[in-house]
Amino acid sequence: MSVHTDSLWGGALEKIKTWARVNSPWAIHYNSGSCNGCDIEIVATLTPRYDVERFGIKLQGSPRHADVLICTGPVTLQSRDRLKRIYEQMPDPKFVVAVGSCATSGGVFQGCYSVVGHIDEVIPVNAYIPGCPPRPEAIIDGVVKLLASLQAPAKAKK
Amino acid sequence: MSTDLVLQKVETLLAGFAKGTAKPEPNRLDLNIDASDLIAAITALRGARWGYLAALTGVDLGKEANQIEALYHLCEGDAIATLRVRVPRAGGAVPSVYALHPNSMFFERELMEMFGVTVTGLADTSHLFLPDGWPDGMYPLLKDTDVKAAAARTMGSEPPEMGRQGDRFIVPIGPQHPALKEPGHFEFAVDGELVTGATVRLGYVHRGIERACEQQNYTQNLYLTERVCGICSHSHANAYVNGVEQLAKVLAPPRAQAIRQLVACLERIHSHFLWLGVAAYEAGFETLLMYSWRDREVVMDVLEQMTGNRVNYSASVLGGVKYDVTAAHAAAIRRAMDTIEERATHYLHVVTTDTSFLARAQGIGVTSTEEADALGLLGPTLRAAGVTRDVRVDAPYGSYQQFPVTASVDSAGDLAARFKVRMLETLESVRVIRAILDGLPEGDLTVKFPRKIPAGETISRFEAPRGELFYYIKSNGTDKPERVKIRTPSICNWIYVLTKAVGSQMADVPPLLAGIDPCFSCNDRMIVVNRHGGDRRIWTREDLRRHASTQTRR
Repeated sequence: MSVHTDSLWGGALEKIKTWARVNSPWAIHYNSGSCNGCDIEIVATLTPRYDVERFGIKLQGSPRHADVLICTGPVTLQSRDRLKRIYEQMPDPKFVVAVGSCATSGGVFQGCYSVVGHIDEVIPVNAYIPGCPPRPEAIIDGVVKLLASLQAPAKAKK
Repeated sequence: MSTDLVLQKVETLLAGFAKGTAKPEPNRLDLNIDASDLIAAITALRGARWGYLAALTGVDLGKEANQIEALYHLCEGDAIATLRVRVPRAGGAVPSVYALHPNSMFFERELMEMFGVTVTGLADTSHLFLPDGWPDGMYPLLKDTDVKAAAARTMGSEPPEMGRQGDRFIVPIGPQHPALKEPGHFEFAVDGELVTGATVRLGYVHRGIERACEQQNYTQNLYLTERVCGICSHSHANAYVNGVEQLAKVLAPPRAQAIRQLVACLERIHSHFLWLGVAAYEAGFETLLMYSWRDREVVMDVLEQMTGNRVNYSASVLGGVKYDVTAAHAAAIRRAMDTIEERATHYLHVVTTDTSFLARAQGIGVTSTEEADALGLLGPTLRAAGVTRDVRVDAPYGSYQQFPVTASVDSAGDLAARFKVRMLETLESVRVIRAILDGLPEGDLTVKFPRKIPAGETISRFEAPRGELFYYIKSNGTDKPERVKIRTPSICNWIYVLTKAVGSQMADVPPLLAGIDPCFSCNDRMIVVNRHGGDRRIWTREDLRRHASTQTRR
């Protein structure tokens, strides 16, 4: 979409887009080799005790509708291409959150023959949430920090 | 019948085939069998209705011996008969026992891709766990295979685009799919709404844990095996610890044993509540997901209070447990159990009486007792078909003799029965937890544990929430194991989904899948379907009919 407006309108439009993005990010989850621990904690964040839907965060099915890719686990040989494909199917701007020790560093599976490595060796990552597995509060905190960095990109870079 | 008599029966049945027998542990009998006699030997056991095929372990005996040993573990009660078949390291072959034990299909494919042993007569010889592009002739569990080089040569691969294939339409599900929390790739051929073929491609979560276990010491492996699966983490760690303790001939103190059982019971409750929600969600009952996950948090809280972590608790260590149960913990657990009992009773009422729920679950995926046994199913999937098989009852380990459990069984064999059995198991776990808290033995939490383990081999069976977990551990006298084989319950239950999906409505497939409570990360530790071979097995109705008739003919 090309918008021919003066800078004032362009700036306002950007603000509206950021406002919408921050208030209702849609997320997609992919497990590229996780033990399930992080995945069930992600589901726990969606269920009544933690309930991230109150922040407008919604987990949904298609990469084409998603703003945030939540990754768990180290990347296995068999999962590598699918992970890339899911990332490429997502529309810009897109953000990746690596959840758990394995996603951030390979964890205990570092060096296993079928493991390529951690997520950022395959796709770029915006937020890392360490823990084995991270508590639901930590996952929420990570996502909130990501959203805050969208609101003030310059501030977050410092 | 006593274990000795049960094993004596095997010895008599296989007297004509065994080239030597040994009794390494009181409940085990090892029989050396030639590959050419294997079918006859297993037929003799099957004919006498002795046992089920629990696992097939491959062991590389090294370059000097130049042999590979294939161990067929058959279990009956607490007795384990192991048929040991030795084949040459290069060009070895064993016959397929698929016709006698259908679940061997997965075990045999694993043996082929991991050890390079040819299994003759196997319809599907494609990879099970290894990635599609894994180089030929590289077998990860042979000690001298350069797995790093093989992995570096592995090209990426993606399942081909699906859609219309001639007059058939293929519905692909996964590896990324909203209904799957874990990746797996399924292809269902459909005729209208009717499923006419089903295949599964595993291996997306295959990390290679069995090989990794051989390179780390016994203590490090404790943390690795705990991370085989994040839902039944304690089951894996405990099964491993039990095995290593048997090898070291060290017994954990009674208080530690009881605390392990307590954590196992808590884990079963959280796992069954988790499953209840997910399975209900697959059937379109999202409200139940929200309710059951809310109630599950009660168990997570007490686990966290006791161990400091919600998921990987690290409760067991070699020679004991890490955490004690204090009076404050016990009081918190008792309070939590009151809530869980009330909620599980309510859910049991819902899954047995709610009309709209029963419309989705009753009469779906029915297995008879005969069929469930013949397919080699495990855990609640098996017990929901009327087979009373539960390791905690048949072969009580740890403190299960002191705090016995009763197996929960239902005879209906359908999806509704699986819900019922799991809720009954939850209530049984509540009862056992209270009994443990009432009679918790006093004493130490740990005993001194050696760093090096004497040479030997052992088998540890553990009833995880999804069914029997089977660990084979071989030690060589050092601080690192020679071989660790992990057979998870999900791998044995896949055959049920593939069999039952064919002939059912597409809409029933997600709940059918969820019905076995599949755990990909468990079974994918080691195994891929060979894309270039194009040799994928589609179960047609005709195949199924033929398969069913071979299973019921005696």
